[in-house]
Formats: sequence, C-alpha cells, structure tokens
Amino acid sequence: MKKNVLMKLDRITRTYQMGEVSVHALKETSLDILEGELLVILGPSGSGKSTLLNIIGGMDSPSSGEIFFGQENLSRAGDQQLTRYRREEVGFVFQFYNLIPDLTAGENVELAAGLVENPLSVAEILKEVGLEERVDHFPSQLSGGEQQRVAIARAAVKRPRLLLCDEPTGALDQKIGQTVLCLLSRINREQGSTVVIVTHNTPISAMAHRVVRMSSGTIAEIIENKNPLPAERIEW
Amino acid sequence: MNVLTRKLRRTIGSTRGQFLAVAAVVTVGITVYIAMSTAYYNLNRSQAAFYAENDFADYYFHVVRAPQQITRQVEAVPGVEKVTGRIQKDVPILKEDHQRATARLISYPLPVDSEINRFRLETGRLFEKYPQGGGIEVLVDPKYFDANLHSFNDEISIVAEGKQVFLTVTGTATSPETIITMKDAGTMMPDPATFGIIMMPHNQAEQILGLDGEINQVVITCAPGADEKVVANQVKEILEPYGNLASYPRKDQLSHAILQGEIDSLKAIAGFMPAIFLSIAAAIQFVMLGRMVKAQRLQIGVMKAMGYTSGQIMFHYTSYALAVALAGALLGILLGLGLASVMSRTYAQFFNLPETISGVNYRAVSYGLLLSVAVSLGAGLLAVRGVVKVRPAESMRPEPPGGIGRMFLEGWPWIWQRLDATWKISLRTINRKRGRFGITLLGVVFAVGLLVLSLFMNDAVDYMIKKHFFEEQRYDLLVRFNQPVKEQELYNISRLEGVVKTEPLFEIPVKIYLNGRSEDDLLLGLPPDTTLKKLVGIDEKHLALPEDGILVSARTAKRLGLETGDWVEVETLLGLGPARWTTLTVAGVNRQLVGGGSYISLDLANRVMQESGVVSGAMLKVDPGKTGSVEQELSDMTGVSSISSQRKELDNLNNSMDSMIYSVTMMIVFAALLGFAIVYNASVISFAERRRELATLRVVGFTNPEVSSLLFKENLLQSLLGVALGLPFGRFMTEWFVQGVSTDLYTLPIVIYPQTYLFSALGGVMFIMAAHFLAARGISRLELVEVLKNSD
Repeated sequence: MKKNVLMKLDRITRTYQMGEVSVHALKETSLDILEGELLVILGPSGSGKSTLLNIIGGMDSPSSGEIFFGQENLSRAGDQQLTRYRREEVGFVFQFYNLIPDLTAGENVELAAGLVENPLSVAEILKEVGLEERVDHFPSQLSGGEQQRVAIARAAVKRPRLLLCDEPTGALDQKIGQTVLCLLSRINREQGSTVVIVTHNTPISAMAHRVVRMSSGTIAEIIENKNPLPAERIEW
Repeated sequence: MNVLTRKLRRTIGSTRGQFLAVAAVVTVGITVYIAMSTAYYNLNRSQAAFYAENDFADYYFHVVRAPQQITRQVEAVPGVEKVTGRIQKDVPILKEDHQRATARLISYPLPVDSEINRFRLETGRLFEKYPQGGGIEVLVDPKYFDANLHSFNDEISIVAEGKQVFLTVTGTATSPETIITMKDAGTMMPDPATFGIIMMPHNQAEQILGLDGEINQVVITCAPGADEKVVANQVKEILEPYGNLASYPRKDQLSHAILQGEIDSLKAIAGFMPAIFLSIAAAIQFVMLGRMVKAQRLQIGVMKAMGYTSGQIMFHYTSYALAVALAGALLGILLGLGLASVMSRTYAQFFNLPETISGVNYRAVSYGLLLSVAVSLGAGLLAVRGVVKVRPAESMRPEPPGGIGRMFLEGWPWIWQRLDATWKISLRTINRKRGRFGITLLGVVFAVGLLVLSLFMNDAVDYMIKKHFFEEQRYDLLVRFNQPVKEQELYNISRLEGVVKTEPLFEIPVKIYLNGRSEDDLLLGLPPDTTLKKLVGIDEKHLALPEDGILVSARTAKRLGLETGDWVEVETLLGLGPARWTTLTVAGVNRQLVGGGSYISLDLANRVMQESGVVSGAMLKVDPGKTGSVEQELSDMTGVSSISSQRKELDNLNNSMDSMIYSVTMMIVFAALLGFAIVYNASVISFAERRRELATLRVVGFTNPEVSSLLFKENLLQSLLGVALGLPFGRFMTEWFVQGVSTDLYTLPIVIYPQTYLFSALGGVMFIMAAHFLAARGISRLELVEVLKNSD
C-alpha cells in the first residue's frame, strides 16, 4: 500500500550569513516524508542534516523553496504559525535531552502535555518508557539514558504526527542507546507517528524504512529498506 | 593593549546594558555624595568662618534693664572671654502701605571692632554715632531691604516707647545671629515683608527706647575649655537683680539652630543616600560577576591550562567591577561637582551667608572615588573567588544540570498540585537561586522604600499646612498689642467692619521649672471655649482647655520629662514689673506642628500675672473679602504692635515649596533608577542563564508571550514581595530620616498618605515591568537552533 505524503520539501535552500561569508547549508533539496514511516537522515557533520531537520521541525525557515505539511504551506510561515505547528504537530528529541532542570521527570512530560488538546496520559507514557518509578526525580538525579527516555516521553505525550530526533543516542553508550532506539521504533509502530532520526551513526540506518544520505548540503541518495532490522539487534 | 584588557573591553561592550545600569547606580551614589558633602563642607566652613570672624556669642542673657557697667562684673566671671552689653527690642514698623511689620532693634556700642556679634557690612555705608544734620542712622538686614526698601537713605518709621521715630537706612549688614531672620520659632518660614533686623548705634537705641546708660541684653563668649553651664549660672546670678528674662546657649539661638539643622540634615543625607546606592551597586556587581565566572568556566579553564594564575584571572574579572566603579565615579564626580556648586550657591543665597566658600571639596572627591572603587573591588573579589576552584580539565566537561529545586511549598500538595508547570519552574528557580533573589528583593525593597520617603516629604508639608492653617489655627489675623490691655478694649476691634469674631489672647513668656531644671516657654492664655484655635494632643486628638492646669508644649514636656499630673513652677519673664511665680498642674501635653507654646485658660493667665480681665492680643475671624481693609484699620491703631495674617504666611510658605518639588522629583528619579537597575540586571542574568531552557520551551511549542510570562512570574513574585516589604520599610526609613533631620525647633510629622503608598507601589511595579520587558526583549530573538546545538 502506498503511504500518503505527510510533508513535502521542494527545492529547499538554506544559506547562512556568517559574518562576511555565506554558507550554503542546504542546496536545492527536495524530499517527501511519508506518513507513518521511520526515516533516518544519515550524514557526516556539516552535511546539512541538522539544518534539514530544523527546517522540517519548524525551528528554522528555508531561504528559498517550498515546504508543505499536509495542505499547510510552511515556506514563509511567521513565528506564530511555526510555533503553533511545533506545538501541535511536532515532538523533538535532542542529543543533550534539554530537560527543564527545575521540573521533575513527570512535570517535564506534563509541561508538554498541557500544550495540546488530547495528550496521552502522563503516567502511561512514563510507564511506557519504563520510568514510572522515577516520576518525581529531577533531571540532575537521572542518568543520561533516563533523561533521554524522559525527553522521548515528553515528545511523544503530545501524540505528534512528526517525531524528530537529533542524534538521540549521541551522548549515550551502545546498550542504553539501543533501548532509546527501541522506544522510538515502538512509538512509530504503535502510535503511528512519523519518526525522523538524524544521525552520523551508519548502523542505525538499518532500522529505517527509508534512509536519506546527505552530503555537502544536498541529498546524495535515498535508500528504501525493505526489511528494517528490529532496533534491539542494532550494534555499533 | 594587553589581551586580557582587550577581552575586558569586549565583555563590557557585549554587556553594555548591564554595565550602564550599574554604573548609573554608582553615578547617583557618588553624585549625591559629592554634591551633599561638598555643600555640607562649604556651608559648614562658611558658617564657621563667619562666626569666628564676627565673634558669635556663646550665651545670651535677656534682662529687663541693667546698668551698662554690669558687663564689667560679668567679664570678671572665670571662663568668660568677652562680654558685650547691648539693647535688643522688637518694635512695630509702620510701613508706607500701612502694613505692619516688626523690627528687631539691636544696638551696637561704637566702635564695634572688639565687641561680640559684630556684623559685616554688605552694601552702603556704616551708620554714624552722631550724623551731621541729625537724625538716626541704621543698617538693615539685606532680605528686609530687598523686600521693602528701594534705595539707601530711605526712611523706616518705627514706634518706640509710644512715639513714632524715623530711621535713615545707610546700608545692609548681616551678623552671625541674623543669617536667618525669623521672628520666633512660631513662624514657619522667614518672611522679610513682616520682619526685619535693624542695627543701630547704641547711643541712639538708648535714646529712643528710654534706656539711658542701660542695656537689656548681655552676650558672652566663653574661654576655650570653660564649662558653659557653670559660667552661665554665675552670670545669671549677677544679672538676677535686673530681671533675668531669658538665657540660652548659642544652640538655641534661632538663626543658628535653623542653619545648623539644615547643615546636619545635609550631612545625614550625604551619608545615607550614597550608602544605599553604593551597597546596591555592589550587590548587583556581586551577582553579575558571580554569573560571569560561572558562564565563562570553560574560558577560565583554558586560561588556566595556558598558565594564567588564579590571581591574574580573578583580577581580570574584578576589573570589570573596577571599570563600572570608575565609570560611575568619574561621571558622578562631574555631576556631583556641578550640583554641588549649584547647591552651595542656592544655600548661600537662601541663608544669606556672606562668606560664600565654594571650593572643590577634594577630600569628598577622593573619598568618593576611593569608596566606589573599594566597594566594587570587594564585591568583585568576593564574587569571583570561585575562579580558584576551577580545574582546567573539569571545566571542559559540560556542567551537570542544576541542583534539586524541591522547596517547602511541595509539602502542601493541595497548593502545589494546583500550580501549573510554569509556576513550578519559577518557584523552584527562585528557591534554588535564593541568594540572588534575596539581593534583588533587597534592591526592590530599598527602591520602593526610597519612593515612599521621597513622596512622604510632600505629605508631611501638605499635612502640616492642612492641620496648621486650616484646622488648628482657625483665625485669619492675629493682633498683638504693645502692652496688655483690658479685655473690653477688644470692642474697638470687634466692631470693625468685616470682623466676624474676636477672641482674646494673653501671651506670657515664662520659664517652667521641674526638679531644678528649667525650660523657656511661652504661655498662651485663651478662653476655654475658644473656637478660633484648636488644641490637639500628641495622639492627634482634640484637647479641651481646662480652667485650671496647663497644657504644656510637647517640646517642654520632652525636655523636662513632664507627665500629666506633675506640678511645675512657672516664672514670668514679661519685661513689666517683677517676675511672678505660680505653681501649675500639668493637665496634658499639646503638640503644635509649627511654633506653639503651653496653653492655659485666659483666667489662669490673669492669675499668673496677678491681673484680671487683661489680654495681650486677639485672634480675629474676618470676612474673606475684608481681610485687607481690616488689616489696614488695625495698622492705624497705635496700640497694635504686630498683625500676622494666616493667608500671607501660607502664601509665603507655598512660594518656598518650589525647591522642595525639585529635590523630591530628583529623589523619585533616583529611586526608580535604583530599582530599574537591579531588576534589569537580575532579569538579564536570569535570561542569559536560561537561554537553553527557554529555547527548549520555544521548541516544544510555547509561544513567545508564554515564555516571557515564565520570567515574568519570577519578577512578579519579586515585585509583589518587594513592594509588600518596601512599603513598611519606607515608613521605617521615613521615621529614621525624620529623626535624623529633626531639631528642637522643627520636626516633620510622620504622616504618610495612603496615596503615597499606592504611588510607591505603582512606581515599584512600573520600574520592575520596564526592566523586565527590556530584559525579555531577547526572547523573541532567541536563535533556537544556535542555543540548542551546543551542549553548553
């Protein structure tokens, strides 16, 4: 069955002005993100993968080109429209977790849940990520893996149609990284969220439905993966 | 330029908002310090120089009349350095416009060169003992001259011993005892239109006042080291047979007391205002530098790895504070010197101080500089002591997330669970950063307190005017006679057209004794059913005038430690006939905001004087349109010595309020600046520290206003608490301030109107909002991608 297109990027360019130098982070890049897929964007640092993710996530706007989320044109969206888009449609997971230090694990999740009409139950999702015992702990009392699981719970609780992860295992060791990847793939499977993972870690691409390989600010190739590997079997 | 200096310069550039805010607080502190202490210094020096140059008396003795030679006896008292016998008497002036004024005649034995209380000729020429072509030559004080006369050789007409006498004015002069020309402590402000000093040769005064070969005042200076009180008691004994009316030390001399009060309050302000501003500046710098060292941990680690010592690095960060101090102090010195010269000039003009010393007070300048640098250095070193602990290797690793912010409120789940996540963030942040919160709070409390104090000045004056002129003194005119008259004679006044009501008054200068101590006071006899004068107690409640017993003045009560029910001895000091002694029971203590005295019933006043049916003056209620004509007719009555008009006194007072408005406005601006600076800095720091957290919230989907409101909630708590504490603190500061500037003659009522609290609270909220929004501008410019990319 052919999947619907959730997001369409059409000849996106992103140029940064760094002092007197123009940096072309993205050059004429086009990509369709499909509903319900798990997409891995792979590339070395400086290849433009984070820029692409930021534009997909509405944290940044393209210098030229068009982006559509469903019928909604985000290419020239203002700050308000982008905020609403992030709030309702997108969940973010960062390399360094970015939890609010002054909120407990439970409260960090609650914080996001309060932003949407129909969130998942906070208790449920924390149970789901295996942290039901750690609800009242502050980030400083949690290990890196635990913090990342809270971050995933925080992103997922909104039932986002798009879950974006920027090097989610970048600061974790392999074993803990694996559990994080398992979680992401389960959310993709069970909740039907489209999951986009940005990484420079090639083995991770084995779990993807499709792999986008970036190089020098543009898409080098898109590989369809007929038989994605279960996350728990990924090793690096 | 050294690399670290260059780094410092750039840091200042990138934090210029904060830099300027703290520097401004330092500037205000130093400006006020330099201006006030220079004005104090100048005023103090010119006062001292002027007193020394003219041999200002140490003690005054008034007698009814005594032979001139008595001064020899006084001179022989051990401890007495110099003695001058002279004549001083208040007489009515008949002005050309038929208005009444009072002249204080002071006689000067010629030549005056070696006498006490000499004067300095300001304009014109000295009077002559026996002018060619006859007549009497006099000098007047410059204020009276400016207000009433046109040119030298103008004549002043006075009434002396019942006869009209013409005096020719040859010039103007000021002496240490006439720097401020006020008739008595009952007047609120000098009014040169109704009171002036006339200086004349002693021989002429003897003649017109019928005191041939006699004097009625002895003034002395004491030898250095002599016990003034002992000397005074011995002189009093010598003067006893001549009707010792009053004696007082220099500190009770009106002109001196007022000038000294002003100088003292300058000194008080010069001390406490800068102390507040410099401490707050130090507190802000402490917070700023502490934060800077934390934020630049990595840089510090790198510098250490390269071989910089902790000392060098600490000095580098402390230099920031020194730069703030220097910038603030230099600007403050410039502004302060400017303001000082304006102030010194204004004071010199107001006080008519001939010796205007207007120098740069180098000591104040160097103290100011030293003080601000020392304070900044201290705050800086204390704040950056953390540098020592930074280890190069550790500093390169990202810092773990902040500590556990659990707080006491969480013990009460029914409150805690009702709070949304953003409130929890705010509360826990405050809890975790208690020190900084406390410092900011302190700043807000001081700023709001200063606002209360500034606005209080208006309240106090307004209250005094309302109470004094509209509630307590209900008469329009107060008439005094040359000598006591029978009460029936008041009929001549009450029948004048326009006089609505006349009530008698009997004023008797007295000495009140209790347990061997005494105090000069004025007894005021009024009819017990008086409607033109309302008496109030210390508690502001109405006091009924008893038939018997005395409502003693608050000042005398305080000085003698009197309480209701005490028995006091009263000795009359009226220059007519022998002194009378009476014993009176204290029926209460009255307070009057301006002037005042001790009140008794009219009958009792007569008994004290062993008279009956006699009065010395009258209070009049007059038809509003007729005040002028009534005053005119009263002026033409020969028995009338002075007429004081409430309306004129009020006008005179209102005219002199302008300068107060300036200083109040300035104080308000300073207070707002103080509050703004500290809240702005705290907000900027809090914002900088939490860029990452705020950006995360933005990414998660919080809107700009939602993120801004998070910071706002912290500021709101700060401002609510700051205002709530600042208002009572303001009252406390006011009490402290009033205590500092009060003299025996003047004290401000501690009255703070509700609107002062309201305006101070609003003002506080306003500067907090302004600072918050200026600091929170950055939220909309948060580069989400930039902020989140780095792990720190």
